[in-house]
Amino acid sequence: MSDNYKKAIPVPGPESVPFWEGAKNHQLMAQKCLRCHHHWFPPSSVCTSCGSRDIEWVALSGKGTVFSFVVFHRLYHKGWDGEIPYVVGVIELKEGARMLSNVIGVPVENVKCDMPVEVVFDDVTEKLTLPKFKPV
Amino acid sequence: MIEPSTHMRDKYALVGAGHSRLGKVPGVSAQGLLEEAMLNSLEDAGLTTRDVDGLICRGPDEIYTFHQVMGERLGIDAAFSTTLTNGGASQVMGVALAAMAIDAGMASCVLVGYGRDNWSRVHANKENHMRSSGRPQQMYGMEFGPEFGYYGAIAAHGFGAQRHMHEYGTTREQFGAISVAFRDHAIKNPDAVMQKPLTIEDYLAGRMIVEPFSLFDCSLQTDAAGAVVVTSTERAKDLRQKPVLIKGFGTGNNISGWFNGNNMTHTGAIQSGKAAYKMAGVSPMDIDYAQIYDCFTYMVLVQLEDYGFCKKGEGGEFVASGALTLDGILPTNTSGGQLSEAHVEGMLQVVEGVRQLQGIYGPKRQVPNAEIGLVSGHGGNTVCESTLILGAM
Repeated sequence: MSDNYKKAIPVPGPESVPFWEGAKNHQLMAQKCLRCHHHWFPPSSVCTSCGSRDIEWVALSGKGTVFSFVVFHRLYHKGWDGEIPYVVGVIELKEGARMLSNVIGVPVENVKCDMPVEVVFDDVTEKLTLPKFKPV
Repeated sequence: MIEPSTHMRDKYALVGAGHSRLGKVPGVSAQGLLEEAMLNSLEDAGLTTRDVDGLICRGPDEIYTFHQVMGERLGIDAAFSTTLTNGGASQVMGVALAAMAIDAGMASCVLVGYGRDNWSRVHANKENHMRSSGRPQQMYGMEFGPEFGYYGAIAAHGFGAQRHMHEYGTTREQFGAISVAFRDHAIKNPDAVMQKPLTIEDYLAGRMIVEPFSLFDCSLQTDAAGAVVVTSTERAKDLRQKPVLIKGFGTGNNISGWFNGNNMTHTGAIQSGKAAYKMAGVSPMDIDYAQIYDCFTYMVLVQLEDYGFCKKGEGGEFVASGALTLDGILPTNTSGGQLSEAHVEGMLQVVEGVRQLQGIYGPKRQVPNAEIGLVSGHGGNTVCESTLILGAM
């Protein structure tokens, strides 16, 4: 199936390797501050709430809501040919961090802001797993 | 809390404004277009390249130190010069920076401009179109975007529009009122690219691109450039045009990110506007017209709220009331804006803001009794804002 995968393959930056390794193991990873317990995404080396450098990677619950979303009706990349319309959402995880992903498993016209969703892991190639979200 | 200094109020002025040919201008580079706009702005002021000792500009982002490229073409050594990289907030900020540079004694006459050859780059032929399509959203480069099919500025702004619709009940018809008003203004402007009338029915029938945005929510892809000349008000009195005073300016940058907090519905315009009003000593009630950065319809609506022209959440009703037309309570984007005139990332909004106070238009295009105007710049990764408040001499 790897040979047939035509969508963009992410190239992890050095700080985001734990996120992609976690996804491969079907865990949704983000960073957490050990001082104020804030969670955030994308990765950095400092708590984006209190400024502490005392931080760690943790597995999230995978539960959250759709903070906002858009529906692509135009083909921007040939890998999505045949899948239009598709939904790209900003997911607010229960722990507070927000991340970009796809909302799947629901007709596009039924996607709403604040709709509860949970993570599903899509093993798109042998080396790549994408965390996506479906309605609870 | 930041307290903007008021000592610069009315001390510096815009003394010339110009633009290049707009639309499809094949065979001319971004540099060539900007050169055209800069020379037109100097001519408007009655000045030449020999009078310029400051150069602030922006061009296609991949051209290194663009101001040096322009300096070489124009034959200018500048006491003060730089290229700005704050997206669509750069151009208004360039005018503010020019005033600051003159105030600090670093320059006396600063040329500010931006040029882009976007139509030629993207649409002139199939090869260019293929190359530009599918380019990832630049912020994270190759992750957290393209793998989910997330491409283009339209989707980023669409998130904000969708959230605003959810929280405040804003509708697509209300976004449409913005497109329709600006198209009417474009039709009064012979240089504007879009000359075909647009009705709300046309808007609603528009092809969906990235929902909630259709074709008519999106700004144009054009070859175009704009430029202005900034100097002291004292010196401005001897020049060709009636000087346009820089009453105040501000900046606000929600660079913690578009996805953070309520940044999608409460933009950098809140902070930027507060600073600009304070420096200028005016309030939203005093503003006679606005030139608002209109990459997408929603950004006009939310900025109007954030600048205090209506309450938060009431932008939809405000724009649908007819407020933005030339005879409305806040004539906005009076040359057609980026949605219908041409898209130069806010530079043409600065040019139009100046011209309304130079009083050069006939009754068809002139905002009646215009004395104070507001110009906004918005951009970067949708989080940066800059504001100018201009006044008649």
